[in-house]
Amino acid sequence: MKYAFFPGCVLEGAAKENYIATTAVAKALGIELVEIPGWTCCGASHVQDVDDLAATAINARNIALAEQMNMPLLTVCNTCTLMLRKAKAKLDGGQKEKINGILAKADLQYQGTSEITHLLWVLLKDYGLDKLQAAVKRPLKGLKVAGYYGCHILRPPALMDFEDFANPQSLEKLIASLGGQPVEFGHRLKCCGFHATYTAEPDMIAITGQTNQSAVEAGADCMVTPCPLCQMSLDMNQPEGQAAVNCHQEMPVLHLAQLVGLALGLSPEQLGINRHIAGREVIQAKIK
Amino acid sequence: MRQITYIVTRFDGVKSFTQTYTFPHQPGKTLLWGLITIKETLDSSLAFTAACRAAVCGACAIRVNGQAFLACETPLDGILDRFGDTLTIEPLQNFPVIRDLVVNWEPKAERLAAANTWLKPQDNFSAKEGCKQSVADFKKITPQINCILCGACASECSKLSANSDDFLEPFTYSKVWKFVADSRDKDAAARVKAIVDKGLWKCLHCVECVTKCPKGLAPGEDIARLRQMSIKMGYTDNPGARHAKAFLQDIEDTGRLNETKLSLRTIGMIGSIGKLPFALRLLRRGKLNPLHAPSKVKGHEQIKAILKAVRESEQ
Repeated sequence: MKYAFFPGCVLEGAAKENYIATTAVAKALGIELVEIPGWTCCGASHVQDVDDLAATAINARNIALAEQMNMPLLTVCNTCTLMLRKAKAKLDGGQKEKINGILAKADLQYQGTSEITHLLWVLLKDYGLDKLQAAVKRPLKGLKVAGYYGCHILRPPALMDFEDFANPQSLEKLIASLGGQPVEFGHRLKCCGFHATYTAEPDMIAITGQTNQSAVEAGADCMVTPCPLCQMSLDMNQPEGQAAVNCHQEMPVLHLAQLVGLALGLSPEQLGINRHIAGREVIQAKIK
Repeated sequence: MRQITYIVTRFDGVKSFTQTYTFPHQPGKTLLWGLITIKETLDSSLAFTAACRAAVCGACAIRVNGQAFLACETPLDGILDRFGDTLTIEPLQNFPVIRDLVVNWEPKAERLAAANTWLKPQDNFSAKEGCKQSVADFKKITPQINCILCGACASECSKLSANSDDFLEPFTYSKVWKFVADSRDKDAAARVKAIVDKGLWKCLHCVECVTKCPKGLAPGEDIARLRQMSIKMGYTDNPGARHAKAFLQDIEDTGRLNETKLSLRTIGMIGSIGKLPFALRLLRRGKLNPLHAPSKVKGHEQIKAILKAVRESEQ
């Protein structure tokens, strides 16, 4: 199993621990990740607000680079996945010739041979949960995990068609296969507000607080999300979020790869959990 | 015999409560059929709105297991496959409830009207000649014309749920875009100018509206179209426009996001000082490195060439 790895910008910065965890987990599972040389920012759900064609063209380049490697493109961020899949849908839906005219200026060509996938989907569909379960060295026995999907791995369903947007189950199945106990909670399909961090900050803070409170009230020990942007929003803003809803119990928010890594026997440090703001000690205490 | 259960959130004008109704399954029915069955056979006091039964009038949108659906056009069997034979039925969110599943549209209609969502015909049109439009121009606005004002987008909108004071219903942005893009309208510039201050940059990008619209509209994308137009018209002195432009600039400069500079560029020095406790928290955990600036990615000259070609093709 070999993938053209598209880390996304935040894995080089504030969510570097997700780079550490993803590469460690891939290595442990025998999934080969080859980082795409020269990948660029996907546009982060913002660039289309300035120039839609530019958003499509830069992602056509990203996909073309993966095609040169002759591998499917693997992301670990919901928004990167959406931006790349949106560009691919436009290319396959009639813009290929036009965009290839633009890519030709950079001696590149989009062909349509590389799928855009996400680590969560790869673990379920390509790797398989049976195989993952067999690789578990430290079952997450008794760990109550609230699966938080994040918007852009489900919506819009026309582009993100891996599972039912209204009642997805992939995270719950994954948590169970790692030996953990999936926890249903009210906010599992809601938005974290990350993309309006600067434009609607009070809303984003309130949402952070409500989401963590929702997980606390459902009895979760931690949350897990396939999106580093959700993770950052729910973790880094947690002190303000707690104050906004007057719920002061810390809620660790794990990246998907971190949860898998813990079950594979890696230590919290090896997975960069020491870089988190909230609930580091909770994870240390729960993982023995 | 297979039984279906609707757990309905009811409201009698004073208090809210849930009531459980169980009735025999029939194949090939709709969500609305279930409500009508309850009213006709179990409880005539259950209040809901529905009229056309053909996804035209927009009266029957409700929430099922926390998601908005148009009751008349949604096959019940598909919903049961998704959620099982017991469903929770609620009125739309983000609307005042009048009774049971009936919501009050009046405040929404007022907000819609305040956004001037009617045609301002160009001066060359007359009552005698009418407001003619080519087929091609009509097709440009067909998706937005299909809105039936069912309220599903407003119900699911994450921003409205957080705070509706500084944001409009998603359908309103789609309607505003429709008139901006309508070849018969004379007020496009004034419409864009007005909408910038009516929450245009406050959308959270949750894509709920696009997902839940039963008529295939994409209000979130109409918001993006209005944003593009506002930037073209020079309305760039706001955090939203600065933030979006910063991403494109970073792609052009190096290929990747410069997180350290993002706050300064979006909300300026004063705004960024307000975020100091947050920044210090990140520094302490190694999540923010003020010294880190991305260097140019491999193939940076390709990006330059691509963005140059994009700009040329748009001229």
